[in-house]
Formats: sequence, structure tokens, C-alpha cells
Amino acid sequence: MNYPFWDVPHIGSGWVIGIIAIFHMMIALFAVGGGFYLVLAERKALREGHRDWLEVLRGHSKFFLILTGVFGTVSGVGIWFAIGLANPEGTSALIHNFVFGWAMEWVFFIVELTTAAVYYYTWGRVSDELHVKVGWLYAAASFFTLVIINGILSFMLTPGDAWLAVAGTGQEASRFWQAFFNPTYWPNLIIRCLICASLAGVWALVTCSRIDGGKTPELKTTMVRWSAKWLLPTFVLLPLAFVWYLWTVPESQRALLQLGISTIGMGMFTQVTRMLLVVGLTSGVIVVVTYAFAWRSPLEFNSGQALAVVLLALIATASGEYTRETLRKPYVIGRYMFSNGVRVASVDKLNAEGYLMHSVWTRRGGDDKLAKGEAMFRGQCMACHTVNGYRSMKRLLADRNREAINNLLTLLHDYKPDSPYRAFMPHLAGTKEEIEALGDYLAALTAAPASNEKTKVAEKQAPVISPGKL
Amino acid sequence: MKSILLSFYSWADERLGLEEMVQFAKHKTVPVHSQAFWYYWGGLSLFFFLIQFATGVLLLLYYRPGPDAYDSVRQITYDTNFGWLVRSVHSWAANLMIVAIFVHMFSVFFMKAYRKPREFGWWSGVALLGMAMVFGFSGYLLPMDDLAYFATKVGMEIFSVVPMIGPKLADLVRGGPDVSEYTVHRFFALHVVVLPAVFLPILGFHLWLVQRHGNAVPPSEEAKSEAQRRSESFFPNFMMKDFAMWLVAFNVLSVLAFMFPWDLGPQADPLKPAPLGIHPEWYFMSQFQVLKIFGDLFPGKLGEILGIVVFTAGLLLWFLIPLYDNTQEAGRRAKRATYFGLFTLMALIVTTIWAYLVL
Repeated sequence: MNYPFWDVPHIGSGWVIGIIAIFHMMIALFAVGGGFYLVLAERKALREGHRDWLEVLRGHSKFFLILTGVFGTVSGVGIWFAIGLANPEGTSALIHNFVFGWAMEWVFFIVELTTAAVYYYTWGRVSDELHVKVGWLYAAASFFTLVIINGILSFMLTPGDAWLAVAGTGQEASRFWQAFFNPTYWPNLIIRCLICASLAGVWALVTCSRIDGGKTPELKTTMVRWSAKWLLPTFVLLPLAFVWYLWTVPESQRALLQLGISTIGMGMFTQVTRMLLVVGLTSGVIVVVTYAFAWRSPLEFNSGQALAVVLLALIATASGEYTRETLRKPYVIGRYMFSNGVRVASVDKLNAEGYLMHSVWTRRGGDDKLAKGEAMFRGQCMACHTVNGYRSMKRLLADRNREAINNLLTLLHDYKPDSPYRAFMPHLAGTKEEIEALGDYLAALTAAPASNEKTKVAEKQAPVISPGKL
Repeated sequence: MKSILLSFYSWADERLGLEEMVQFAKHKTVPVHSQAFWYYWGGLSLFFFLIQFATGVLLLLYYRPGPDAYDSVRQITYDTNFGWLVRSVHSWAANLMIVAIFVHMFSVFFMKAYRKPREFGWWSGVALLGMAMVFGFSGYLLPMDDLAYFATKVGMEIFSVVPMIGPKLADLVRGGPDVSEYTVHRFFALHVVVLPAVFLPILGFHLWLVQRHGNAVPPSEEAKSEAQRRSESFFPNFMMKDFAMWLVAFNVLSVLAFMFPWDLGPQADPLKPAPLGIHPEWYFMSQFQVLKIFGDLFPGKLGEILGIVVFTAGLLLWFLIPLYDNTQEAGRRAKRATYFGLFTLMALIVTTIWAYLVL
């Protein structure tokens, strides 16, 4: 517990990462797929003599350069800031274990950004063959950024037994490749490649929607239809890749999904199942809508319709990313570190010596139990919960009295093998006294106001008249 | 298989005249231009209404008005299989329907699609929006949780401003001096019998008018010659895209209903103090704020009456726009109408945000 805690009121630090990451993923996956789209479209145009395609592709590569080179890179750096603040322990673990991986990643980033700029600025200035070669270089570099980041991201869900056997011994680097090519690496990579292809098509449709169909009907028809085809592989193969992925995730996470599916009728099903249904539904809708808007009526395909497809893609990407994050619960690195930064191996030590003893940024000593409780809350709960916003403690504990809160904390502290909370909540670490202080703090949070002064004021402030439905 | 289908089609065609309808739909065209995106919003409003109709019927199977109202909604939400989903879709679609109608109304306004010969389309459309809002108001009370109860209680006080008959009118709507199970019965009757009985014929009339006069084009397109204008066939091209747009809307609705299922608060208790921050639904917030502003400017009864008078006058001006912006030329009058539309839109947005900020 070497770092201070980052308090983001209302939305929580997780959503700060989430918002930046979803925005970034929409662009980053486009950066990979879009590279292949550009070079393959250019090659097709040159081979088949569609010189008029080149002008559209030039415009698309400008849009591509700005979107990926500016918004993609800025949001990418933003993720580093956000994860560094929200989960410094987890970020530190990733940096230490994958120093070499990150170094490779950044080399490819530099090649990617440079070639993207060269590709755009050399339209019509170098020979067609050389321009296509630059395009291939870009596509390859961006593909390798995916290949590498995929190893690190999939590692977080399934680090694998080989790496876990040496985790915490200082010998982690000896299992670099086992950690990199972890159990979910390949299905994850295939899924991401498919999404890259479809996002390449989705963003290309935005550019194609702006071609004037009245002036150049042939150009618009062929380009819109060719771009729409990029969505097809995803539609056919994604469900298969997803089944493969589910087959490789830990049994406990699969059980969470199955439990979710069996309880849909009662509406009690898990968040991750809800998200998964959204991903499935939205992916299907994207293909049908693209068929109706773009394939059937390419000439009338307009930017409003293209943006509707982008909106759907955003929903699917956001839900997919959320599912991936939620599947990892209760860990930030599977079976190694809980989502609040507490290492699985450190729990016994923290139970014996005290959690706050090892939190260097919390004030030591003093008898203020509530302050201690708050420090415990900040350290162990705030990674996922807020006081009164997202996953609000006030709301979640609203019906529980002090004793019920104590029972809950005991369940989380004991962390027995059959505890239902193990599926998504971390092991609560700390001495008996610390857990009690946390309980007092939570009880004080949810306690009803001492008097009903506030409600009286509210009544007074309510206007005498108010129109219509309230 | 194909021949069986064909013979069935000709059997039905002989009796129903299907071919005529297909030919009619094929010959009907929809204009294509840069602002054609706005044509989808009328269809989207209709789509959400159809969703409301279907989910409303399903809720009707389990809902019990009167003293059991809260308990029946609790059962729907927590005990009945997929009840939570139907209720959630019904509540979200209600809000989305009003969003879609607002967008549709403003796009019609700025395209000047209320001008001759489409005046009745405008009037029936504004009436449908008004009724959709009353649908929302009456539906809100039906679960009888504490928020619905207190919000309706405060909302009903608007009647007290009407001189002379106000209090009596309020008693009539409430079924007594207080919001009670009788109010639920009355609102229920209004929500599922009276309103649909009035809404459906006006909706039919509105759709018939759209069919009769076709899609209006914005002034920028009107300025072009016939040869310069482009169009596409309604069937199957536009219809397929209309359905695709419905599918997008369905997707958005599903995400909202899945991810943010509609909550049910604690049972209404008239003896409890009103909870904090009671306010109307978002589509009444603007009016709520305007009345508040006038109440602050002119304390007492005067402010309340002035607020209502100003609001009613604005609404009347809005409703009667086809009568005073009735020429096709892009003259001063047309410009003034556009400014009026922009002002109304801005005023609605600003007062709504304002209302939420000062809650």
C-alpha cells in the first residue's frame, strides 16, 4: 500500500478509466483495422483502375491520421494517467512484469505514428508502389501494437499457473512468455482482430457517406458496398471466437455468466450477463442496419445513418470492454492481486499486522475510529464503490443496520470457500479493530439524519404550484 | 414451396387487393436531400408508441388499480418472470417517445412543414404531443410509490390557480381532497381507456394526412427545380431504412432497459414527510421553472397566474403558427417564425437545465 488513494466523487475512479478507455478503444482498434483497410483499398483501386477511389482514400487517411494520431494517442496517455492514479499497485505490477513488452510496444507505436503521417503526406508525391509499401508498413506496425498489448491485457484476466508459481519471488521475468501467451491470449487476439476489421468498415462508412451520390453514383456505390463488407467476417466469426474465449476463462467466471443467464426472468441477473446480451444484440443490429442503410441504398447513404452505425459500434465496444473488466472481478490481476490493489499473498500478513500499518499515506495513531474507518474505506472499497454515486455505499447499505453491516464485513473478511461474495468482491484485509472501524464508518454513512429538519426545509421550498406530471 | 406461396398470395390479393397496395407503395416516393435524416423521427415516435401499446397490454395483465396498486407493481417487478423487463421497457419507451416527438416537432417546424396544405398535420401532431405528456403524467402515479404519490400531490395543486372552479376541478380529477386510491382509479381509467380512445383516432388522422400530402421538403430544397431534386421509392427502399432506424431505436431502448432497470421506491405513505428534491419529469421541468421564475418575480397569486398566462400564450402562438407563417416565400415573416422556433428551443433547453441546477 505504497500510494495515496484517489477519490473521484460520484462516478468513482473506475469510470474515469472506463470513459477514457472506451473512447480510446473505439479509435485504437480502428487504428489497426483502418490501416489494413487503407492499404487494401488502395491496392484494389490501383489493380482495378479505380483512380477515383484514391481521392476518397486520401480524405479518409487524413481523417484517420487526425483521429488516431491525435485523439488516439492523447487518450492512450490518458489511460496511463488514470490507471496510475486509480490502481497504482496494479499498474506497478504490470510495468515491472512487462518492461520488455512495453519497450516493444512503444517502438511499434513510434513506427506506427511515423508511417501514418508519411502515408498521408506522400499521396501523389511518391510512386504508387512505394506508397502502398508505406501503407503495409503502417498496417504491420499497428498490428504488432495489438499483438503486444493483447498479451498484457489478457494476462490480467488469466496470468496462468506458470507465472503465478513464481509471482512475488522476484523471478517473474523468467516466465515472461508464459505470462504473455497466457490461456486467453489467442481467443482474445482473434476477437480483437475481428472487431478491428468491423470498426475499419464502420469508420470508412462515415467517409463514404460524404461522397456525393448525385455527382458520382458509381464511386459511391462501389465504395460504400466495399466498406460495408468489412463488417461481415465479424458477424460470422465473432460468436465462434466468443465461445472459444468463454471456454478459456476461469471456471468461476463462466459460472457467473451461467448464473446470470438462469436468473434473467427474475431480473436479478449479473451485470456481466446484461452486458453480454447488449453486445450480442448490438452486434446483430449493426449488421442488419448496415445492410439496410448502406448495402441496399448506397446512393442515399448519408452521414446521419453512418453516425447511427458509429453509435451502435460505440455501444457494442463499451459493453464489450465493460464485460471484459467485470469478468476479471474480484481481481485486477487474476488470482494475484485484488481489484483494490491488495495482493492475495499479503492478506494474512495484513490481517495480523493491520492494513493501515502498511498504508504509508494514511495518518497513523489517534483514536478516531471514524477516521480509521474512512481510511479503510478509501483503501479497500473505493476502487469500485463511491459514497453516493456509482455503486453507492449509501444505496447498497441502505436497509442494513450496524449488525447487518458487521455480518457482511465478517463474510468478506472470513472469505470462506463457499462465500457467494468471492465471485466479485475482494478479500477484506485488516485486524479486527480495523474491520470494526470500517463498520462504524459505513454505519455512520447510511444512518438516517438525526432530525427531519432537512425534509421540512424541502417541503417549504417546494413550489406551491407545479405544472403537469411530477 | 414458391408456387404454394404465390397461389396463396394471389388468393389473398383477389380478396384484399394487395397488388394495388404494393403498386401504390412502390410509386410513392420520399425526397432525398441533406436533411432527410429528420424524416425518421415521426416513424420513431410511432415505433415507441407501438412499444408502449404492446408493453402496456402486458402490464395490464398483472396490474391492479386501487389499494393493491403498489403491491401489484411490486409483484410485476420482482415476482413475475420478465415483469421487470416489461415495466422497464414501458417506462423507458415512454420517455424516448416524448424525446422522439419533440425532435419530430422541431424538425417539422424548421422545415416549415406546417404550411399549406399541412396545417392539420401540425395541429394534430401538437395535440398528440400534449396527449403523450398527459399519458406520462397519469402513468407516473400508477405504481403508487412515495415519489409518484408526492409528486402527483404537488402537481395537482396547479388546478388551485384556476380562478373559481380550480379547487373543484382538482377534487374531481383526484376523486377527493387528497391523492388516494380513487385518484389511482381515475388516472388508470384515463391512462388505459380515455387517452387511447382519443389518441388513436387522432394518430390515424395524422398518419392519413402524412400519406395524403407526402413528405415536406425544407425551404432550401423547395428553391431547387424539379429536375434538381432527388427522391427514392418508399417501398422497399425507404421502408427498409425506416425499419432499420426502428431497430437502432430498439437497440438503444434495450440497452437502457437492461442496464438501468426502472426502480420502484417504497410504498406511498401520506403520513410521511415528502422526500427531498421532488420535481416533475424532465419534459415538465421547463414549465415548472417558468412558473417558479414568475412566482419569484411577482410574489403571491399574481405571479402564479401571470406564469400560467404567459405559458398558455406561448403555447397558443406555437399551435397557431400555420396561420401567420403561411406564405411560401422566404420573406420577413418566414424569418420571424424561424427565430421564434429557435427562441422556443433555446428557452426550453435553458429553463430545463436551470430547473435541474436549482433543485
